[in-house]
Amino acid sequence: MIGTIQLFVTCLIDSLFPEIGEAVVEVLTRAGVQVAIPQEQTCCGQPAFNAGYRDQARKMARHTIEVLDDTVGPVVVPSGSCAAMIRHGYLELFADDPTWLLRANALAERTYELSEFLVDQLGVVDLGASFIGRLAYHPSCHLLRELGVDHQPLDLLEGVAMAQVHRLEPECCGFGGVFAVDQPEISTEMLKRKLAEINQSGAGVVVGCDVSCLMHIEGGLRHIGSSVRCAHLAQVLAGREATLR
Amino acid sequence: MRIRFRRRVRAAITNPSLQVALDRNAERRMAAWNEAFASLPDVEDLRQRAREVRQHTLENLDHYLERFTRRLVENGVRVHRADDADEACRLAVSIAQARGATLVAKSKSMTTDEIGLNYALQQVGIRVVETDLGEFIVQLRGEPSAHIITPAVHLLREDVAATFERELGMPYSTDVEDMNAAVHKVLREIFLEAQVGVSGVNFGVVETGTLCLVTNEGNGRMVTTLPSIHIAIMGVERLVPTLDDLALMLQLLPRSATGQKITSYVTLIQGPRREGEPDGPDERHVILLDNGRLAMANSPIAESLLCIRCGACLNVCPVFREIGGHAYGSVYPGPIGSVVSPGLFGLSDFGHLAKASTLCGACQEVCPIGIDLPTMLLRVRDAYTKNTPQPPAMRLAMSLYAWLMISPWRYRLAQRLGAWGSRLLPRQAGWLPTLPPPLSAWTASRHFPTFAFQPFLARRKKLNYGAKPMLTPQRQKRETEPFAKRPQSEDVVERFGRELEDIGGTFIRCKEGEAPDQVVAHLRKLSVKTLIAWGEQQPSLNAVIHRLKDEGFEILDPDLPRGSGPGRDQRLADLGRVDAGLTGAIAGVAETGTLVVPAGRNRSQLASLLPPVHLVLLPVGVIYQTMADWMAEGGEEAIAGTSSLNLISGPSRTADIEMTLTIGVHGPGQVIVFCLD
Repeated sequence: MIGTIQLFVTCLIDSLFPEIGEAVVEVLTRAGVQVAIPQEQTCCGQPAFNAGYRDQARKMARHTIEVLDDTVGPVVVPSGSCAAMIRHGYLELFADDPTWLLRANALAERTYELSEFLVDQLGVVDLGASFIGRLAYHPSCHLLRELGVDHQPLDLLEGVAMAQVHRLEPECCGFGGVFAVDQPEISTEMLKRKLAEINQSGAGVVVGCDVSCLMHIEGGLRHIGSSVRCAHLAQVLAGREATLR
Repeated sequence: MRIRFRRRVRAAITNPSLQVALDRNAERRMAAWNEAFASLPDVEDLRQRAREVRQHTLENLDHYLERFTRRLVENGVRVHRADDADEACRLAVSIAQARGATLVAKSKSMTTDEIGLNYALQQVGIRVVETDLGEFIVQLRGEPSAHIITPAVHLLREDVAATFERELGMPYSTDVEDMNAAVHKVLREIFLEAQVGVSGVNFGVVETGTLCLVTNEGNGRMVTTLPSIHIAIMGVERLVPTLDDLALMLQLLPRSATGQKITSYVTLIQGPRREGEPDGPDERHVILLDNGRLAMANSPIAESLLCIRCGACLNVCPVFREIGGHAYGSVYPGPIGSVVSPGLFGLSDFGHLAKASTLCGACQEVCPIGIDLPTMLLRVRDAYTKNTPQPPAMRLAMSLYAWLMISPWRYRLAQRLGAWGSRLLPRQAGWLPTLPPPLSAWTASRHFPTFAFQPFLARRKKLNYGAKPMLTPQRQKRETEPFAKRPQSEDVVERFGRELEDIGGTFIRCKEGEAPDQVVAHLRKLSVKTLIAWGEQQPSLNAVIHRLKDEGFEILDPDLPRGSGPGRDQRLADLGRVDAGLTGAIAGVAETGTLVVPAGRNRSQLASLLPPVHLVLLPVGVIYQTMADWMAEGGEEAIAGTSSLNLISGPSRTADIEMTLTIGVHGPGQVIVFCLD
C-alpha cells in the first residue's frame, strides 16, 4: 500500500499555473494517497539540457536529486516531459559520474508521471469527475514516446462522466522548449497544424498531461482569437474550471 | 551557416507548392508505412534483431572490413580504400580516365553525392548522367536531392513537366506516364552508350563478398550490367556479416523506405562477368569510403552509424514536413541528417541542424533499427554549445537560470520579479499578447501566460495533504496488445501467385508439357516477334525455346562482345529493340512474389532487363514460403556461386513524381510467370 507520495510539481505549474497544482493535490488525495510537497524544489533543468547546456543542467539536476533524496515514497510529476527528464535525462547527464548516476538511478526508479501513477500504481481509473462536452486529448511527445504513457490518461478520461473524448493525432505541437524561440517560424507552422486539427475536432477543451505543450497550444488559440481552452488532466479530473488559468 | 539556414527555412515555409508536396509526402509515405508493417508479424522482434546485427558489425568493424575486402578480392573485384571524399573522387576519376570513358551512367547513391563525385568527373570532361528518375529530375534542374529516397520530393508534377519541357524539349505534359516515357527514351541511350556505370551499395555481405543493391526502376541493374566498367562506392559501415542478416535487413529496408514488402529488384553482385556468361561488366571496382565514419564510430554519436538509410525518419519528422530537405543545406537532411552531417562534415558548419528539432521522438519510433535519434540530437547540441562560439547572451541566460534554480530563495525571488514584470506589460484576458525581444519570437504567434503572484509552493506550505484510505484497485494494469496473429499457413503456390499479381505481375499455372503452347499463345497476343532468351538450360526451358524457333520467332544472340567497339555497340542496339525476354528462375519466394534470377553460363541478364516484357518459367517445386527458407535450402550457396543474381518482384516501377506509381520505367513493364507443375 502506498502511503505518502512526493509531489514534484514542476516550475511551470508552480510559477505560472498554481491552480493546476491545486487540482493535482485534489486528485491525488481523492485517490487516497497522502501528498507531501518538498518545499526546496525548483526546476528539473530540462530546458538547459535540451538546449545543449549540460553543465548548467547538471547543477539543477543535482539540486533536484538532493531535494528528493531526503524523502521517501514515489515521486509524482504532473508533466510527461519533466518526468522523462528525471527518468532518462538524468541518466544521460550523469553517465560518466558513477556517484551521481547511482543517485539518479534511485530517483528514476521511484518517479512517475501523474496519470501513469494513478492508473498503473494505484489502479484508479474513476475519480468521480464529470464534464459535459467534447474534450480533445493531446498525446504529448515525451509522455507518449519517452515514457510510453498513452492509455493511462485515456482510461482516466473514460472515467469522466458525460465527457466525449477525442484523441488528437500524436503529432508534436511545435513547442520543444527553447526551440519555440530559437526556430519560431518552424514552431509556428507546427502549431498551426495542431490548431487546425483542434478546430476540426469540435472540442471546446484540449486536455493533456504536459503544461508546457498546453501553454503553447492555448497561447496559440488565444493569439488567433479562438474560444477553445486548454486544461491539464488533473483539472478535468478534479472537476475544476477547465482552463489553464 | 545558421543564418543561411534560417533564410532557407523562411523560404521553404512561404513556398506554397513545396508545402503541398511535403504534406503529400508525409501523408502518403506514412500510410504506406503503416500498411507495409501491418503485414509483418513480430515487428519489434525483427527490429531488435536488426539492431543487434548492425551493432555487432560496427563493434567489430575492422575485422569485418578486412574479411569483406578479402572476399571481394577472391571474387575478382578490385577494392580501393578512400580516407576522404577527395581520395574517393580521385580513385573513381582515374579508373574512368584510364579506360578512356566519356560518359558515366549513375544510379542513385547518397555516398556519391556526399563526396561530390559528379563534379569531380565533370571537371575532367566526363559527362555524368543520373539515371534514377528523381535524381535525373534534380540533376536537370541543377539542384541537390531533397530527400535520401525520393530526391524530387519537393516538386509537384507541374514543376517536373516544366523542367522536362525546358531541358528535354518534350511537349509540356503533366501526365506522369508521358513524363516517364520521355525519360525512358532519353536514358535508354545513356545506358547503352555509357562506358562506366557508378552505383552505391545498400549492404555489403561479408561472408560472400556480395554487393547488395535495392532498387525499383531497373536503372541500378542497367548501370551494374551494361557498361563494361562498374564502380560501386560504399561507406565502410554498410556491412552485414551473413546472407541471413541481409535477409533480415531486406524485410525492413523496403518497408521503411517506400512501404513495399520488397522492391522490384534486389541485385546481389559477387563479381565481374565470368567465362561463358553472355553479359555483365568486365571489371568491377569497390571504393570503400571512410570520410569521417571511423572517427564517428568512436564518438558519442556512434549509434547513428547503424542507419540503413531508409528515410523513414524524414517522412515522419514534423520539422522536415515544414522545411523540406534543401533547407538543411546537407546531402543528409532530416533527423538522421542532423546527426550525421555534423558527425561527418563538422560541428561548426552543421551542428546548428541538431537544434532544428523538438525532440518529439517520432523518428526513433519509426526507425527500423530503433536508433535513439533524440539522444543523438541532444549529444550533438551538447558538443555544439561546448565547441563552437555561442551567442554570449544565451550562455549568460543559461548560467543565470541555473544559478537562480539551485537556490530556492533566489527561485522565489525570480518568481516575484516575474509576477511584477507581468503586471507592467499589456494584458489580454490575463495573458500577455506581446513580449519584448528576444521573447517577442514567442508572442509573434502565441500569447504568454503571466506569472502568479502566489506560486503553488507558497500556497501549499503544509507538508502533507489527504489521509483517506486507499481506494481498492478498480482495474488491473492493461496488458499490451499482442501483435495480430500470423495468417494461417496456406498453399505456398497460391500465395506466390497472389503476391505476384498484387505487385502487378501475371501468374499462369500450367503443366510442364503445356508450357510451349502457353508461351506461344501469350507471345502472339502481345505481338512479340523478337526475343532474348536464356540458352541451353533445364529441359522445360529448352522445349519452349525449340518450339519458339519452330514457330518463327526471332531469338537474338544475347552474347555481348567484351570491352568496347562497334560490334558491341551494334549488338547492344539490337538487343535494346527486342520485344520480350525469356528466362528461367531458380527459386520463387511466396511471401513477396519474388523470382530468383541468377546470371551464369548462357543466362542472359539482359533478358530480364532490357525488353518491355519478361517471361519466366518457374518450376512449382522451387517455390519457398520465405526468403529465409530459400536461403536455408541452398539459396546461400546459389548466391555465392554466381557473379550476380537478381531477386525480381514484379515489373519495374517508380513513384518519384508526386509518389504516383508508374510501372515499367527502365526494366520490363510486364512480368509473366509460367508456374510449371
